[in-house]
Amino acid sequence: MADNNNVLVQVKDLKIHFFTNEGTVRAVDGVTFDIRSGKTLCMVGESGCGKSVTARALLQIVHRPGKIVDGNIVLYRKKSHNQTEEIHISELEPKGRDIRSIRGKEISMIFQEPMTSLSPLYTVGNQIMETVRLHTRADKNQARERALEMLNFVGIPRPERIIDEYPFRLSGGMRQRAMIAMALSCNPRLLIADEPTTALDVTTQAQIIDLMQGLQRDYDMGILFITHDLGVVAEIADNVAVMYLGNVVEYSDVYTIFNDPQHPYTQSLLRSIPKVTATREKLEVIRGMVPSPFRRPSGCPFHPRCTKAMPICSEVEPKTISLNENHQVHCLLFDESAKKPVREMAS
Amino acid sequence: MTEQTPQSQLSSASKNGQPLLEVNNLKMYFPIVKGLFGKISGYVKAADDVSFLIQPGETLGLVGESGCGKTTVGRCLVRAYQPTDGSILYRLADGTDVDLAKVDGKELRTYRTDIRMIFQDPYSSLNPRMNVFEIISEVLRVNEMCSPKEMEYQVADTMKQCGLRPEYMRRYPHAFSGGERQRIGIARALVTSPRLIVCDEAVSGLDVSVRAQILNLMEDLRRDMDLTYLFISHDLSVIRHICDRVAVMYVGKLVEVADANAIYTNPLHPYTESLMSAVPIPDPNLRDRKNRIRLEGEVADPANPPSGCYFHPRCRYAKDVCSVETPVLRDMGNDHIVACHFAEELELTGVRMS
Repeated sequence: MADNNNVLVQVKDLKIHFFTNEGTVRAVDGVTFDIRSGKTLCMVGESGCGKSVTARALLQIVHRPGKIVDGNIVLYRKKSHNQTEEIHISELEPKGRDIRSIRGKEISMIFQEPMTSLSPLYTVGNQIMETVRLHTRADKNQARERALEMLNFVGIPRPERIIDEYPFRLSGGMRQRAMIAMALSCNPRLLIADEPTTALDVTTQAQIIDLMQGLQRDYDMGILFITHDLGVVAEIADNVAVMYLGNVVEYSDVYTIFNDPQHPYTQSLLRSIPKVTATREKLEVIRGMVPSPFRRPSGCPFHPRCTKAMPICSEVEPKTISLNENHQVHCLLFDESAKKPVREMAS
Repeated sequence: MTEQTPQSQLSSASKNGQPLLEVNNLKMYFPIVKGLFGKISGYVKAADDVSFLIQPGETLGLVGESGCGKTTVGRCLVRAYQPTDGSILYRLADGTDVDLAKVDGKELRTYRTDIRMIFQDPYSSLNPRMNVFEIISEVLRVNEMCSPKEMEYQVADTMKQCGLRPEYMRRYPHAFSGGERQRIGIARALVTSPRLIVCDEAVSGLDVSVRAQILNLMEDLRRDMDLTYLFISHDLSVIRHICDRVAVMYVGKLVEVADANAIYTNPLHPYTESLMSAVPIPDPNLRDRKNRIRLEGEVADPANPPSGCYFHPRCRYAKDVCSVETPVLRDMGNDHIVACHFAEELELTGVRMS
């Protein structure tokens, strides 16, 4: 997959552990995926499954006591027609010059809560101009011009007025638009969106999603979209990575995930959502709850909640199995080599 | 609105039995205070002339965008707010009516055990300094509903019903996960054997798998304990799942009330239509749905609403009359109530059922 020209970022076997007083939390435990330009990768999972941490690792902004302990994050940068440069993000100094030149320029990020992620002390315009002036040689006037252009671009009415407003004067949808304007002001090649629509109303959510899809079409941008809303995933994803307790348990294109999911977790997750198109009936439930990260179950971490758990699931950690080129499952059900010893033991 | 429209004219629902709660022309205005001397410069009309019925045993959904006043209505019903005007007629078990909007102080306490509330955030709605027993039994103690000995039984019983282990009674909220905390919140509401529960975004903060558990629990409890819910949410898929009837609010006013099926498949108000169209459907094969409506602009400011129909600046069917005349809620048959001048003419699309 690495030789594919479209690959923007490749994450391989990423492990992020949090070293706390109560013990080590394996927040991300061997995650592999790639993001291509012009495509949207959706990361879904319940809270605490490591999706936000993974996204933050791409920018080297994992908070202490978290640390990238293993794995590779490679950013591919096109130099000329057939030359690509590889930048190993995971090896860059978190506070160094190199990663700072990537943040906000090549990779930028939108956060969930637009109120807390915008500074209350600066006007919207100032905050956008800061990014522009940091990454380009633009002077103040040019940066302001650019900020106006971006605000207009993301559909904010009367940008010449809004540019001098403080964030608290804007509504949630407008703030999120301002965040997007800021994130896109330097034409990033990869946009990381961490639950960008979760705090918004459905109508505003639809507007923001439309906007992001439009921008992606225009700029051939890669998007890593993190959400727990499977409805949103079905609307925008090209590929989906389903996460559970630090592992990508299933990875495939969006149609396969929704129409033919293979991992028991994906299957149960899809059955447990109330649908607007279906009438009232009992929801199927995944028994139990996401375990505490300190008490991670042995073997496959999903086995205590799994309907198809086998005896071996509590002993062996599953490997990632490729069902076909674009469909990977992290489950022992598909691992013939793991199944065999059980049968022998049973007989 | 110049003319008051009594609920009884709007809905024939009262014919098929006595409603549990009858809300008539409920108004909740919050003053906007300006300057040093607290001069009132205007009002935010958070709930403006809201009328609806809740039948015993049903689940009524209240939906709308944030800031439309749905939470305000819920809080008026539990009398966390003193409504500016209007009446909330609550039918007691013996058949007499009480107007909750007029009752005060001590007298109100007896009804507080009948109408309970479940809150959105399971983290901030539980006092971290009280253990689970204290949280759940507080209402029993305050209202002197039972002796200390019985209290323990009752709390244990309620906890069991809500899927909590009574052994954990002495633990503090921080020891529980989000889903368990929400169960504690539900147990706290249930311990007085209430008749009506106002659920304000009760499942919005929960993860997908836990949300399914809580929704099923609430459904079971409704059946077993003969409960009635007012379910406030912005999540239309959840409302679809749990509600019998749905009321749609926009900027402090009800714009449509109907049977859940009718609201979803055959909406009569353009706002309802656009809400339905904006709901993401978890099926990628449907992502290229045609005729999707994208609402332009933002929710109107309730302190300074537009003239005429509040929705007209965003409505794609708006005509001249919409900006002048405020539409009145009308019954379109089958208990389908709508406030739109063109409800008869418009052909709106709902959610296509799979």
